[in-house]
Amino acid sequence: MTGERNAAVEFGRRVDAPYWSGLAEGELRIQRCTSCRRWAWPADWRCPGCGSYDLGWEAVEPVGTVFSRIRTHYPFVPAYADLVPYDNVLVELPQAGGARLIGLLTGGGARIGDRVRGTFVAASERTAGLPVLTWTKES
Amino acid sequence: MGKRPTGVAVVGIGITPYHKRGASPDAERKLLLKAIDAAAADAGIPASEIDGFCSYGADVQEGTRLAGPLGTRELRWSSLVWGGGGGGSAGAIAMAEAAILSGHAETVVVYRATAESSSGRLLRAVSQGVFGPHYAAHGVDSPAQALGLRTQRLIEHDGIPPSALRAIAQACYHHAGKNPDAVGHGVDLTDEKYESSRWIVEPLRLFDSSRENDAAAAIILTSAERARDLTDKPVYLLASAIGADGPKWGELDENHEPYTSSSQVSAGRRVWERSGVTPSDVDAVQLYVNFTGPAVSALIDLGFCTAENAGEFLTFENLIAPDGKLPICTGGGDLAEGFLHGMGNAVEAVRLLRGESSNPVPGARLCLVSGGPISELSSAALFATTDGR
Repeated sequence: MTGERNAAVEFGRRVDAPYWSGLAEGELRIQRCTSCRRWAWPADWRCPGCGSYDLGWEAVEPVGTVFSRIRTHYPFVPAYADLVPYDNVLVELPQAGGARLIGLLTGGGARIGDRVRGTFVAASERTAGLPVLTWTKES
Repeated sequence: MGKRPTGVAVVGIGITPYHKRGASPDAERKLLLKAIDAAAADAGIPASEIDGFCSYGADVQEGTRLAGPLGTRELRWSSLVWGGGGGGSAGAIAMAEAAILSGHAETVVVYRATAESSSGRLLRAVSQGVFGPHYAAHGVDSPAQALGLRTQRLIEHDGIPPSALRAIAQACYHHAGKNPDAVGHGVDLTDEKYESSRWIVEPLRLFDSSRENDAAAAIILTSAERARDLTDKPVYLLASAIGADGPKWGELDENHEPYTSSSQVSAGRRVWERSGVTPSDVDAVQLYVNFTGPAVSALIDLGFCTAENAGEFLTFENLIAPDGKLPICTGGGDLAEGFLHGMGNAVEAVRLLRGESSNPVPGARLCLVSGGPISELSSAALFATTDGR
């Protein structure tokens, strides 16, 4: 839960910086070990499989399945308070070793196992200044 | 010290009243000093005799800072279990056990204090920066939301019926109803009251959620040999364990595996192995209930039921004192006695085994305390009325 594992004073030096810069460029990038080809997520500095520090990034299609979901009624996050109740999904990416991403669900109606597609949304005050993917159930 | 001790026991407990968060008239450290004084008085020893200090998580009350006002004669041990929330609440007991058994310290206090008015813990440590950008950018920035995600999968994918969550909440409030010091005293949590309570984060309702209080609690442990000289009611620690289920566990932005586990499988297994006790021998559990969903996961992982029979086993009747198959949270617990990140549970375990609980379990000999399910690290401690030998 804590961001400290990957924290850096300068955001661009975070271990997951390529993920965020990818979103800004309309590409979903997930970390992958250059040596043993193991997907590594969340991003970190060392491959837990082979011990390599040589980790790269690969673009994958922003589609996945709903792994879990919540509907938030209490305005825990001030920037999202005007949206309550709003839905979040935890999306599993089978094409990236089962990496799971949290995102806002738009349009509602998704249950666990449903297929969802991501839309690239530019950084805003609401998203803490970060580009994000929002997810919509595929019909 | 001479020969190394072979066992440890609790000789004193101390707890302040639970105040609404932000409403304590005393500063956090003052609350804690009062709780430690009460525990020392209960043990019949001067507080200055305490030579070891153990806490966990984001505690800011370092043992070294307590030594001054307590008049500590010799500080020999001061340690913090890493990991957020209450995952280390029983782990701090494990730390005390390790210190005493190894001979590093002789009289160790395990504690938690929180007073939002003076430390701002919730605001500072939890509300700001606990959840990283992968959460915050998407409107997820609270334990209720993260644990809601686990709970939804527990229900929708694993097939745990929501009635199991309700039974846990109702058992806690039922016990609080007989505990005059509980913050949830006087709440008659009928099915209707529960079902009509507002959603916090679906699938979690108001009554599925604990609310942090201002309070402090302390328990003092020493060697079992010495405990028998100090009190006629020592409560023995049969085993404790601390850790995370591996390899994929930690604060991993919801990429934990297995996802709906409480991370208590490993700690539970080691407690059973060390003590030779099985879950069916246990008379009551002081279960960490930050939210009801994780508490269900914990009972499964600790071996009290399975995902398949959880709905059948986790009923109100089974979870209440005096006659339930497995009474939980006999003081009202984190949900309804007061939330002190689990340390109230250790105090209640001792009360129960001494026969001092508001909800006695006749003949209770074994009581398990669990710490912080779905924290990145969790823990468990098994207390008993006899030393097990």
